[in-house]
Amino acid sequence: MKRLVPIGATLFSLAVVFPIFYSISASFFQYTDFTAIPARLLPSVPTFSNYLRAFNESNLLVFLSNSLYSALVGTVLRMTISILGAYAFTFFTFRGKNIFFILIVATMLLPPDALILENYTTVRLMRLTDTYLGIISTTLLAPTHLFMLRQYFKTISSEYREAALIEGCSDSRFLATLLIPMSKAVIITLAIHSFSTIFNDYLWPLLVTNREMMRTVQVGLTMLGFSENLDYGPQFAAITLLMTPILITFIALHNPIQDSVSTRFTGR
Amino acid sequence: MKRTNVRHLKPYLLIAPALLLALLFSYRPFILTLVNSLHTVSLGGKRLSFVGFDNYVRLFANPSFHASLSNTLRFTLFFVPTNITICLSAALLANRPGKLATLNQIFFFLPMAVGLSSSMMIVKMMFNPSIGIINQLLRVDIQWFSNRHAAMALLVIAGVGLDIGLNFLLLSAALRNVPTDLHEVAKLEGANAFQTFRYLQAPLISSTLLFVVVTNIKDAMLISSPVMILTEGGPFRSTQTLVYQMYLEGFKSGNYAMGSTIATVVFLLTFSILLLLMRLEHRRVYYQ
Repeated sequence: MKRLVPIGATLFSLAVVFPIFYSISASFFQYTDFTAIPARLLPSVPTFSNYLRAFNESNLLVFLSNSLYSALVGTVLRMTISILGAYAFTFFTFRGKNIFFILIVATMLLPPDALILENYTTVRLMRLTDTYLGIISTTLLAPTHLFMLRQYFKTISSEYREAALIEGCSDSRFLATLLIPMSKAVIITLAIHSFSTIFNDYLWPLLVTNREMMRTVQVGLTMLGFSENLDYGPQFAAITLLMTPILITFIALHNPIQDSVSTRFTGR
Repeated sequence: MKRTNVRHLKPYLLIAPALLLALLFSYRPFILTLVNSLHTVSLGGKRLSFVGFDNYVRLFANPSFHASLSNTLRFTLFFVPTNITICLSAALLANRPGKLATLNQIFFFLPMAVGLSSSMMIVKMMFNPSIGIINQLLRVDIQWFSNRHAAMALLVIAGVGLDIGLNFLLLSAALRNVPTDLHEVAKLEGANAFQTFRYLQAPLISSTLLFVVVTNIKDAMLISSPVMILTEGGPFRSTQTLVYQMYLEGFKSGNYAMGSTIATVVFLLTFSILLLLMRLEHRRVYYQ
């Protein structure tokens, strides 16, 4: 019984990572390796040609740079909007404060996927289809981020701000030199979350981009045209290229990741 | 005088971007969706005439909608218990000290590193009935994409693959917070693994578990992208879900009013679940 748990856990975890392992392995397959009987788990003779073809016969790099650019700009704007909002809601008293706060946070109740019909019309009327701003438009407001930042800012005594203002420090300087550095850990966690959310979005970018050159990688990856012809090698190569940096990051940072989840969701 | 005006305006300026975005991309479309569901709407998205609840009557008489509704509920019914069982077993099995356990943990959350469309493309290729690795390894001949039951099962499998990373992290974080001295007491009392889980761990992780279950239900009810990439609702609409049908009506058939009507149904369904989630969130403490 004592031995059973480690053995069971290991077999189970191997089954869970099998698709990742197989994708990496298959990205080095020869064309014939996919139809070999019995089925191959490792390439007969490893080849890099799938990677070359993934680059040469598709716009993978364009898709990737579109994704990176929109995720980066989107994250910066999203964090700025959230921080400014949370700052106002924590340190200022003003008429309608609670109503405005509830109004913003309550957007969490409206699932974005069910709003796409109207949002698409809006973005089309604003002539933002096939633009980066169009891709990030609906992700710019992050009510959960604003909410969490306000919760965090509340733990910072407003005496800091009062002292700073008496010393002649402006709000913008207080934010830049004190508040943001003091909340670095939270801001970084939320920024990483924002980046991966925007980077991994599928449905919205699919709708607002029609031009091949504006597609994000999540959309482009499903339209490379290899898998339809059962030409799996280049498709697996493209997937491997995309996931390897993230896999390495995850393995290297497994401790901080596990810890951050435990603080974020259990409050310890 | 002027300075005080600026001071009064400042907080409003700071919240203006968030507020404008909320109005533009959440409330306005939400209200317009409700309004459109009560009208006939032209191909260009222009409201033509008020028709009351006609769209709803038509929708509820539409066999395609019946299929979407029952598929969405069936998917939720299959997916949530399967997913919870798998993720919870993973978290329980990996919740032990040692190097091998750390390796297990990394393997369990690694799927989180694979994006949505990558995962779906991997599933699509691995489950291809003729040259996919799964049928060959298992020595079976399951027509994953042309058999109704197999396609639904495939969607459930794909969904678990997407969710296991985060769910594992959440559940194992909760398990690690169960104090070790309680474990020792349980051991002294001679409790077996099942009893330890039932009487010690389960009550202490119940709030996280509830959170995971409710989020899973919400996500399952809203599933669309995996359907779009994997099965396109087929075969014979057997995997067509509500949000996917909304997308088809609105963007493929140009039936805006019908799309808005389905969206309203989706709102109503998810509303209740999200409100439940908010109540749970309320009891939670962030960053204390």
